[in-house]
Amino acid sequence: MPDTIDMIDKILTDMKNVGGVEACAAVSRDGLLIRAIVQNWQFAESFAAMSATMLGAAETATVELGKGIPHRVIVESGQGRLVAVGAGPRALLVVTVDSDTGLGLVLIELEKAAKKLKELLI
Amino acid sequence: MIKTGIPKLDEFLDGGIPKGKSLVYYMQPGVEGEVFGMQTIYSALKDGGNCVLVASSTIPDITRGQFKEFGWDINQFNNKFISVDAYNPLIGAPSKEKYIVSNPDNIEEFSRIIVDIIKQLPPSTIVFGSLSTIMDLCGERKVIEAVRIWNKMAMLYDHVMVYNFTAWPYSQETLDLMKGELFNAVISIGGIVERVIFGQYFEILKSDWTKEIKRSMLFRVLRPGGIKLYIPKILVTGPFDSGKSTFVHALSTRAISVDRLGTTIALDHGHVDYKGFSADIFGTPGQERFDPIIRLLSGESMGVFLVIDSTNPSDFTRAKQMLKITMSYGLPYVIIANKQDLDGALTPEEVREQFDLPEDVPIIPAVAKDKIGVYEAFEVLIDSVTGGI
Repeated sequence: MPDTIDMIDKILTDMKNVGGVEACAAVSRDGLLIRAIVQNWQFAESFAAMSATMLGAAETATVELGKGIPHRVIVESGQGRLVAVGAGPRALLVVTVDSDTGLGLVLIELEKAAKKLKELLI
Repeated sequence: MIKTGIPKLDEFLDGGIPKGKSLVYYMQPGVEGEVFGMQTIYSALKDGGNCVLVASSTIPDITRGQFKEFGWDINQFNNKFISVDAYNPLIGAPSKEKYIVSNPDNIEEFSRIIVDIIKQLPPSTIVFGSLSTIMDLCGERKVIEAVRIWNKMAMLYDHVMVYNFTAWPYSQETLDLMKGELFNAVISIGGIVERVIFGQYFEILKSDWTKEIKRSMLFRVLRPGGIKLYIPKILVTGPFDSGKSTFVHALSTRAISVDRLGTTIALDHGHVDYKGFSADIFGTPGQERFDPIIRLLSGESMGVFLVIDSTNPSDFTRAKQMLKITMSYGLPYVIIANKQDLDGALTPEEVREQFDLPEDVPIIPAVAKDKIGVYEAFEVLIDSVTGGI
């Protein structure tokens, strides 16, 4: 058990080290927090549940429309961005990014990290 | 009888550990187990008992600091709490404790001090911070023989013996003894990975003063707070406008909702800290157009609250359907007969009849907006989730 957790933490730490990333979390598809690197732990569980709902709702919406599964959900606000990507059938990855950094590198790294998380949880 | 202070464990042990008995917290390497012994010390002190901590893996001062981290003020019990320092001498540092094992790698000396304590002190709870450390220093066989003697002496002098033991790769014979005949009770503590739930659990492997109970409980270690039983997900579902969000908010220590135009559109999420339990509550929307989301979020639940509007029996069919959508059949569930304060509210008996529910499904009358019935419902559900006793 500690091994898998260590490996998830490694993925999250690497993700957190990408420029502009403020927080990141691995979340189960049904909204339970697996692990997270965040400032305020109190809100991590709600953050996890809401992120899973967003991605799930987005997937349901586009699939119903016949537009396929979305690659990611990006939410933009004045204070920053939130990006959620699926990581296999069991989990998703969520990051928050500050408002000044370009998303390009973040998205590439997020894609890689999601692939790794998917492999881990199979 | 002393209480272990671990939620539910005392219940499982018929009240705690009787005087003269020994108990080992048998931990897999890598789990946060040391807190078990500490929580037992704090619980015993709080109930007015005397305690001895045999500190063999850290200096006693650090252990005192750890108590503080958990929010347990042990300084107020200074005259009832004694540390045996078996660590400072190891690193050549001076010690200010009354009892010092000057050669912690010498089991004879160790044993002499422990036996002295057993003979001199009034009936106490004697906790070994790390029996495995002593084993590493003195050798497996010698320590096992010493433990046999300590436990016998403790029985004569009415002490309670509690050991923290980490199951490093010792010889199979040693591990079998630790799990078997050496102690009156064995609490095993380990980690699990079940799909995406990464957790720690404890279970009673043995207890010679109670009926056998094979039941494992998930727990989390909170700072402050210590060991809390952890229930990753409890689902709150029910038809539109039955009061699910109100129920989630009434029950939760903190909660958030995604409400638009007065109805839940995504989910309610709440966190409950109550009577040693820590649980996350997921409230689903009620309207049919959100059914795909309900299905998505209801996985991995350990129990379900089905909230119904007691004044609106026409919705009961939908309520049943929602149990199906959430795949909740087979999980423990409790019916919340909400809105009992309104005219025309059906009594729980009438609800049972109209709903055609089996006798063993609990129906709790509630007024969620006034927090009436919500904690009762929580306790009932927790009891069935944990196989209540």
